[in-house]
Amino acid sequence: MNRRREARVGILFALPWILGFGIFLLYPILASLYYSFTNYSILRAPKWIGVSNYQELVGDKVFIQSMGNTLYYLIGAVPLGSVGAIGLAMLLNTKVKGIAFYRTLFYLPSLVPMVALGTLFMWVFNGDYGLLNSVLREMHISPPNWMGDPSWAKWTLIMISTWGCGQAMVIYLAALQDVPVSLYEAAELDGARLWQKTRNVTLPMISPVILFNVLMGMIGALQVFAVPYVMFPGGAPARSTYFFTSYLYDNAFQYQRMGYASAIGWVMFVITLTLTLISLKVSDRHVHYERS
Amino acid sequence: MSPKTIAGLTLTFAAMAGALYIGETSVSRSARQDRVTVVYWEKWTGAEGEEMRKVVDAFNRSQDRIFVQYLSISGVDQKTMLATAGGNPPDVAGIWLDQIYQFSDAGALTDLTQMAKESGLGPDYYIKGYWDPLNYRGGLWALPSTPASIALHVRTDLVPAKYASPETFPKTIEGLDEMNKEVSKISKDGTIELAGFLPSNPGWWNWAWGPYFGGQLIDGDKITVNSPENIRAFEWVAKYAKMFGPKEMQSFQSGFGNFSSPQDPFMSGKVATELNGVWKGGYINVYKPDTKWFAVPFPYPSDRPDLAGHSNLSQDVLTIPRGAKHPKEAFEFMRFVQRQDIMEGLCNGHGKNSPLAQVSEHFFQNHKNKYIRLFDALARSPKSFSPPKIGINQQISNEMTVAFQEVNNGDKTPKQALDDAETRLNALWKTYQEQVLNK
Amino acid sequence: MTNTQRRTLQTILTHFVLIVLGLIFAAPFLWVISTAVKPIGETMTSPPKWIPSEIKLSNFPDAITYNSKELGYIPLLVYARNTIVVTILCVCGAVASNAIVAYSFARLKWRGRDTFFAITLATMMIPFPVLMVPTFSLFKALGWVGTFRPLWVPAFFGGAFNIFLLRQFFKTIPSELSEAAKIDGASEIRTFTSVVVPLARPALTVVAIFTFMGTWNDFLGPLIYLVDQKTFTLSLGLQAYQTQHGGTPWNLLMAATLLVILPLVIVFFFAQKVFIQGIATSGIK
Repeated sequence: MNRRREARVGILFALPWILGFGIFLLYPILASLYYSFTNYSILRAPKWIGVSNYQELVGDKVFIQSMGNTLYYLIGAVPLGSVGAIGLAMLLNTKVKGIAFYRTLFYLPSLVPMVALGTLFMWVFNGDYGLLNSVLREMHISPPNWMGDPSWAKWTLIMISTWGCGQAMVIYLAALQDVPVSLYEAAELDGARLWQKTRNVTLPMISPVILFNVLMGMIGALQVFAVPYVMFPGGAPARSTYFFTSYLYDNAFQYQRMGYASAIGWVMFVITLTLTLISLKVSDRHVHYERS
Repeated sequence: MSPKTIAGLTLTFAAMAGALYIGETSVSRSARQDRVTVVYWEKWTGAEGEEMRKVVDAFNRSQDRIFVQYLSISGVDQKTMLATAGGNPPDVAGIWLDQIYQFSDAGALTDLTQMAKESGLGPDYYIKGYWDPLNYRGGLWALPSTPASIALHVRTDLVPAKYASPETFPKTIEGLDEMNKEVSKISKDGTIELAGFLPSNPGWWNWAWGPYFGGQLIDGDKITVNSPENIRAFEWVAKYAKMFGPKEMQSFQSGFGNFSSPQDPFMSGKVATELNGVWKGGYINVYKPDTKWFAVPFPYPSDRPDLAGHSNLSQDVLTIPRGAKHPKEAFEFMRFVQRQDIMEGLCNGHGKNSPLAQVSEHFFQNHKNKYIRLFDALARSPKSFSPPKIGINQQISNEMTVAFQEVNNGDKTPKQALDDAETRLNALWKTYQEQVLNK
Repeated sequence: MTNTQRRTLQTILTHFVLIVLGLIFAAPFLWVISTAVKPIGETMTSPPKWIPSEIKLSNFPDAITYNSKELGYIPLLVYARNTIVVTILCVCGAVASNAIVAYSFARLKWRGRDTFFAITLATMMIPFPVLMVPTFSLFKALGWVGTFRPLWVPAFFGGAFNIFLLRQFFKTIPSELSEAAKIDGASEIRTFTSVVVPLARPALTVVAIFTFMGTWNDFLGPLIYLVDQKTFTLSLGLQAYQTQHGGTPWNLLMAATLLVILPLVIVFFFAQKVFIQGIATSGIK
């Protein structure tokens, strides 16, 4: 087969994505950049207003607050979720009886629709008759009012997200299964203990996956929406659970300010990009890539 | 290609086609060939939805040209806006009064002025407090479906005998505070067992406290949420928060059951008084009929006796989204709902007062709520007020709720919270005027 | 301590930790199950009651038919049908399109391929909300708001994450196999469908399962694009249960929730081995 034909077939095969990329990514991105410089209500055509939206964002306290909330959530949820997911994956990578059952059990939470998750947890975290607090009271701990107290509300969401770390967990699990047994055997010969094996073999070997999951976790955390939308209407109490996407959604679909919403989206994009680049830079020294 | 692949592909496409078929047919609305189908979206479900369904059925039977298809839609306001933007709105949408200003500014509603005039609906037909809010920027944007007025509900058995009748219950805010101190039971560790009155329960009208103290949220084109009256109202809220303790209140309130269940705090005796709408009586009848209660107008500050007999008025309304396919037929249905007998049946069904100027004696005598005459009087009171007529009404309500929560949690002083709300609303209003109203 | 003893101890310890953690993870589920069979009066007691005084299995039929009289149809079944329709379409679309595209990235040489692949990877960083407004406008212009199309059509055009996953997998398939097929005179499509696809089954399963779950649980998409309650998907429909009816019938809601997640649990339980294998072999690196 000659080169030109292969190129033709190659592009033909890639065509769905080339189209998809153009229609569902490139166009919306450029359009949203354009909209962010316009006054655009859902029912009226966009009108160019320059950088007004961005100027407004700078002075918008609710936007700043939602950004703060989102970063707070990210800083809480990503490390906790990663540690939880890696820990669970290591536990589930052992060969004990009934492992399929355990795996399913820990993966279960990721299967639950967000809305069901929200409703379920509204209940678990209820200050008065909630499940969690009744357990804490049994243990003679005076429990906080999770959902009513602004300082605890975000932690409620962080705990929920940790509970749903199953998606990352299966990816870690897969990575762990990929670590050559010979490496462990060699380490054992050197007299390495569990912690040393984890530190010197496991973590370096799965470090690219950790990076991948942390990046995905960050991007996910920046977009948190459904659970707070269901659990805390309007970001109650006192907007302590009002996030980026909540504000973007409200502006776009409640206040019909599509242009402003697009500007919020772009700020979000820039933040995501910055965080990703920082993570890549920081991880450069620590991530071990197999050269094959 | 192998036969297997072909089979697989065929199957996939068959599944797709099948799914598509089912999918699309479920989207296209079942229409009746011989009649014009008017699609009507409404927020209600349950008993309230059933009452409206009766009206729809009666309309469908009353003539043979129009068929109203009644659909219960959750999140009806946003869905209506999205459908309007998508070019396929319902013909009638049942939304809330305070939304029509933003909707009409956005160009999402049909002006009903002409059609109303032609069918004899005008200011004389309705109670002023319900008609005026429907008119905005020279247009008429909605007709009432069911309205409400709000009053203080009191548990006869939970207040001292000297307060236990509408005649002897305190008329002033100061008297209410006194009553609250006498009635509330707080255990030694701070746990609230019974609250005389809680401003944060049920927490539906946080914007209305200032108006109950004689304040306004807007004055013409100016936002005035931090006016002295509004601050005074929130200082009063702060007083309650201080007395009960923010943490204790949160814990107490998280144990409140839903308003439409016997675990409702008023019905289960956790609060002795509650500011709530005319419908409360109906809910009590259903969920805890043996509750002993009465209703009185919400108290007024003792230095403002002129405010006596006030209430905030709310309405569920019917609108015709712009771009609706059958506005004439839609209006015909809406007109039918406005007929006195139909309207009274619906309002009684919902346990609400009627928005119409004329009310039959039959309505009063057969109403589920024994205090219906009080609620009717509140609706007609010149002291009663409605949500501010402004396009950023939703934002005002949101900001007032946040300010309320901040004050109630003790995070900010009333002045601070309201000044912050004022600043933010001024900025939003300025942008709104520039961008939406093109000023 | 002998090696065997140590191993036994380790096994016991592992089981112990797994059970304790498992209980914490499962507690909310057990709560769902317990509530799903409770009479309504016992759903909001303090302290919570784990064992209901009577097992009310009738909650399940009640949950399914809940509100059906007022709506004129059985909401849960309609939501389920809608969800299944959208999910099937998305899974078919995602598997087919991503496989073809990933094959091109992995095996076919064309100019700009690697640059385009790098760009593809970078797009994983774009948050969906950024695209939300223009995508909505696009579908609005097409007149698709209120239909299922915005939810499934994009699946037929591939997605960065899945392309990446499959490309990594295709790279691990020895090229001799496809070369041999080509020497036998097979066309590119033929080689792809008869040599590569059968070998890629675990990876395709992963794509299918991820898509399945993502679609089944998607909330924001249906929230924006579906307007008529009759077209709601389960995740949106469950919310309709909760907010609309003043007095949420918690026991019925939880029964419905259980019914909604049951298919997912069953699928995962049986597919977990292939699933994890698939992720392992495709190697996210």
